[in-house]
Amino acid sequence: MNFLAPFFLLGALAVAAPIVFHLIRRTTRERTTFSSVMFLPPSLPRLTRRSRLEHILLLVLRCLALGLLALGFARPFIRNAAPAPSGSAGSRRVVILVDASASMRRKGLWDAARARAAGILRSIGPGDEVSVYLFSRKAAPLVSLEQWNEAPAADRAALAISRLAATGPGWEGDNLGDALITAAEALADTEAGKKAPGPRQIFLISDLKAGSRLDSLQSYDWPKNIELRVESLKAANPTNAGLQLVADPPDADRQAVPSIRVRVSNAADSAREQFRVGWGRSPGGDFMGAPIDVYVPPGQSRVVAVPVLPDPAGMRQIVLRGDDEDFDNTAYVVPPVKRRWSVLYFGADAAGDSHGPLFFLQRALPDDSRLAVKAVEFAPSASVPPAELQEAKLYFVTDPLAPETALALRAQMLAGKTVVFAPRSALAAGTLGRLLAIEGAALEDAQPRDYAMFGEIDFQHPLFAPFADPHYSDFTKIHIWKYRRLNAGAIPAARVLAKFDGGDPAIVEIPVGGGRLLALLTGWNPDDSQLAVSSKFVPLVYSLLDLAGGLSEQATQYQVGDAIPLSPAAGVSEGTTVARPDGSTIALPAGATSFGGALQPGIYLLNTGPRSFRIGVNVAASESRTEPLPPDVLERYGAPGPRNPPDAALAARRQVSLRGEEAEGRQKLWRWLLGATLAALLIESALAGWTARRSGDTLPQEGTPT
Amino acid sequence: MIGTSDSSQLRSAALIDPKALMSIRDLELRARVVVEGFWNGLHRSPHHGFSVEFTEYRQYTPGDDPRYVDWRVFARSDRYFIKKFQDETNLRCHMLFDQSRSMGYGSAGYSKAQYAATLAATLAYFLHSQGDATGLLTFDEAVREYLPARHRAGHLRQLMLALEKPPGGRSTNLADPTGRIAALVRKRGLIAYISDFLAPLDRLESGLMSLTACGHEVTVFQVLDPAELTLDFGQASLFEDMESARRVYIDPAAARPEYVSRIEAHCAAVRSICERLGIGHHRVSTEQPLELALFEFLKERLQRGRWSPAAARNRP
Repeated sequence: MNFLAPFFLLGALAVAAPIVFHLIRRTTRERTTFSSVMFLPPSLPRLTRRSRLEHILLLVLRCLALGLLALGFARPFIRNAAPAPSGSAGSRRVVILVDASASMRRKGLWDAARARAAGILRSIGPGDEVSVYLFSRKAAPLVSLEQWNEAPAADRAALAISRLAATGPGWEGDNLGDALITAAEALADTEAGKKAPGPRQIFLISDLKAGSRLDSLQSYDWPKNIELRVESLKAANPTNAGLQLVADPPDADRQAVPSIRVRVSNAADSAREQFRVGWGRSPGGDFMGAPIDVYVPPGQSRVVAVPVLPDPAGMRQIVLRGDDEDFDNTAYVVPPVKRRWSVLYFGADAAGDSHGPLFFLQRALPDDSRLAVKAVEFAPSASVPPAELQEAKLYFVTDPLAPETALALRAQMLAGKTVVFAPRSALAAGTLGRLLAIEGAALEDAQPRDYAMFGEIDFQHPLFAPFADPHYSDFTKIHIWKYRRLNAGAIPAARVLAKFDGGDPAIVEIPVGGGRLLALLTGWNPDDSQLAVSSKFVPLVYSLLDLAGGLSEQATQYQVGDAIPLSPAAGVSEGTTVARPDGSTIALPAGATSFGGALQPGIYLLNTGPRSFRIGVNVAASESRTEPLPPDVLERYGAPGPRNPPDAALAARRQVSLRGEEAEGRQKLWRWLLGATLAALLIESALAGWTARRSGDTLPQEGTPT
Repeated sequence: MIGTSDSSQLRSAALIDPKALMSIRDLELRARVVVEGFWNGLHRSPHHGFSVEFTEYRQYTPGDDPRYVDWRVFARSDRYFIKKFQDETNLRCHMLFDQSRSMGYGSAGYSKAQYAATLAATLAYFLHSQGDATGLLTFDEAVREYLPARHRAGHLRQLMLALEKPPGGRSTNLADPTGRIAALVRKRGLIAYISDFLAPLDRLESGLMSLTACGHEVTVFQVLDPAELTLDFGQASLFEDMESARRVYIDPAAARPEYVSRIEAHCAAVRSICERLGIGHHRVSTEQPLELALFEFLKERLQRGRWSPAAARNRP
C-alpha cells in the first residue's frame, strides 16, 4: 500500500492522547468542591490493585478511530492496481519557442537555450506532440508538428535537439508578441485537428530582454487552456552597450564639420559606463583616427557626432569599444553623397531676365545637402553635346528648336526621358511637330478677355498628385493672361491633365516611346501668367523632377531582416546583383521590387550594371536593450505569467505523484477508512454513554459527604 | 427574666428544624418565624408603651440643654441637675456579613450563606421589632455593599435583599470590613460579625480591636458546616477550593485527624482573639436551630447588662 500524503500518518501518534487521557482520568474523575482547602493536608493518591487502564474497549475504539482517520488522511492507494497511463489521456501539446534574435548572441545564452530545450525535449512523453519554433522577427518552425509525428517516437527528441544544434541565433530583432501568438495559434490549430484532450503548453526559452516587442499581445485574447512556461535565460555579462545610427538634424548641411551621429545606449543593468566610439577599420578592428570617449550611465543613452573622414572610402563602420558584448557594437554607415545633375533649358531668354521663364526656373530647382539640380541653358539653335544631353533627365523647351536638336530630344524621349514643352508663342508649333513626329501640329495664340484660370485639373496624375488635398487644390488664384491653344484631340494618345476655364487644354501629356512630352500651354513667366509667383510653382517643378525620375533615390540604411525596397531609380534589371557582407553574391530577378535577404549586418552592394548602391544594414536598436523584462510584464499583456518549470527530476517525481493521485482518485480507499472511523466513533459513543449511565447510578453525588 | 431556667425552658420548647426552616424561600418570613417562635417561648408581655431607662444625675453646667434639668430636684435641693437617660431605641446595630464563596458551601441541603443570612435576618428583624436601627455591610475579598443603620419602613426589606445576594469573590478579607465599619460608624453601637472565618487571621485581631476601641459592642458568629468540622467524606477525591479553585487530592480517611486538629486550632484561635478583646464568640453549626443562636446572643447581651427582657417586652 502506498500513501499520497504519508506525513498524515504522523497523526496516528494521536492515539497516545486517549491512552494518556484514560490514565489521567483516574486521578481527575472524583471531584469535591469544598469551602476552603487551607486546612486540608494533601494526600498521596492511593494505588489500586486493578490495572491503571479502565474501559479497555473504549480505549481501543478511540485509538482505532484516530488511527483510521490518520490512515484516511494519508490517502492510501494500491500502486500495482493502477493501470499504466495511456498515451492519449495525458498527451501534451507542446510548442517550444526558442529566441534566436541578435541578443541571444551574448556569451553563453545560446548554449543555455539549447540545454534548456534539450531538457524539455527529454521530459516529453511518448504520446506528447511537440513542435519547436525559432523566433526573431517572425516565428518559424524548426521542427514542425508533422515532422515530429512522422519521426519515430524514439528519435523525435534527438531530431529536435540535433536541429537546434545545427542552427544558431540570427541578427534580427525579435517580436516576442508575434511569436507567442504564432505558437498559441499553432496549438489552437492542432486542437481543431484533433479533439483529444490534454494540456497545451508553450515553453518560451528567451533572454526576455526589455527590447522585446510585445505590443501585438495587447490585442490578442490569450486562450485560457494554453499554459505558458517561461525559461528565462540570464547572460553571464550584464554589461551591454549598443550603437545605432541617428538621423541627421534638419540643419545638418549648415554644420561646420560634417559628422555622422550615433546613439550609444547602455543597458540598465550594465556594470560599465565608459566607452569609446570611432571609425573602425573592420567590425572588430582598430580605430581609424582618434576615438571619442563617451560616458553613458546604465539605462541611459548619449548621441555622439562622429566627424566624417577625409577619405570617404574608409567610412564603412563606426565601432564601440569598452563593452562586454560586441554583437551590437558596430554601426555600418553609408555616408550620404550629394547628387548633382542638370536639366537642360532651351530658350532665347537670358538667365538674368526677370521676365523670362529661366529666371524663375533656376530659382525653383533644389540645391541642398543631398541633391543639387542645375539648369543648363542653351540657345534654341545651339547644338548640344551628346554627353550632356544623355546625362540630363529633364528638358525644358520654350522657344522653337533647331530641327536636329528637336530630333535629339525626341530620341531622349524615346529612351524614357521627359521633355517639358512650354512655348512662349505659337511659332513653336513646328518644334512640337518634330518632337512628336507628327505633321500639322498647330498652336494658336489665345488672348482671354481679362484672364484665364486653370479649370479642370486631373489630380490623379502624378504631376498634380501633391495638390490632390483640398487644402492645396485651389489654382484659381493664378491668373493667366495669355496661352497657346492646342488641339489635343488631333494628337494620338494625348492626355489632358489640366484645362483652362474656357475649355482649352492647359497641360497635355503625350507619351513618346518610353518617355513623355508635357505640353505646358502657358508660360510661368509673368508675361504669360502668375504661375511662377504663386505657391504652386516650386511644388510643380519638384513634381516634374520626380516625374522625370530625378528625386527618388535608393535609401541606404536598413535593419537586419528588413525587406529592402528597390526604388525605380536603382533601375533593377536582368543581371542586377547584390553583394553581401560575407562576400557572397546573389542575382535579383528582373522587376524585383524588394530584396529580403539582408539577414546579417554589414554593407550590401546593389549592382545594377551602370550604377551601384551601398546599403548599410544594422542590428535593430531594440536588441541593445538587454536588461531583463519586469517579471509580470507578460501577465500585463494578457499572457499567463512566467512560471519556471520544475527540473527533470522534479518532473519525474511529479509524474509519479500524478499517477499516484490518479490511482488514489480511482480507488478512493479513504472513503472506506472514513466510514470505518465513523463506525468506530458511533460504537464508542454508544459504549461510553452506556458506561457513563452505569457508573452514574453507582457514583456518589459530588461534594456530598458520605 | 431569662435565666438558666429560661434557657432550659427554651430548649425544651419546640425548636424549628433548620432544614425545615430553610425550605421557606422568603428570608424575611424565615426571620419572622424564628423571632415569633422565640417570643412565644418568652411568654409575650401584654404591656405596651415607650420607655427610657434613667441612668444618673449630673451637675448642670452652662451650655447643657435646659430641657433636661430636673425641676423637682431643683425644688427640693435648689440645685440644677441634669437627668441622663439610656436611649434604648437609638441602639444601632451593624452586621458584618461574609458573602465570600466559601460561605456557599453546604452539606445539609442548604449553604452556610443561607443559614447565616437567616441568622442575620433574624437579628435584624428582632432588633427592628424593638425599634432599633439595623445596618449591614457585606463583604468578600472586598467590601461589597453597605446599608447604613436605619429604622424605617422598607429598610428591612432592603436589608433582606442584600442578604440574599449570592456569594462571590475569590477570597475572604476579614480585616477590611472592620476597618471600613469603624470609619463609617462614628456613633457607638452593636456590631455583629457573621462569617465562617475560614481565612487567615493575621489581621483580624487588629481589625476587631479597632472596633472595640471605638466603643462598639462586638459579637462574632462563626457559622460552620458540620462537614467542615469533621471532614466526613467517603472516598479519596480532588478537593477544589470554592474560592481559589485550588485543587488538592485528598483521601479524607487519611487526612481527617490532621484536618480536624487544624480546624479546631483555627476556631480556637478565633475564640482566643475574641476573648482577648472581650468580644462574644458564638460558633454556630448550620444544623443547629437558629433560636439557639439568637438566645446565645441575647444571653450575652443580658450578661453585659445591655438588654433587659422588660424593654424587649415593651416592643411596639
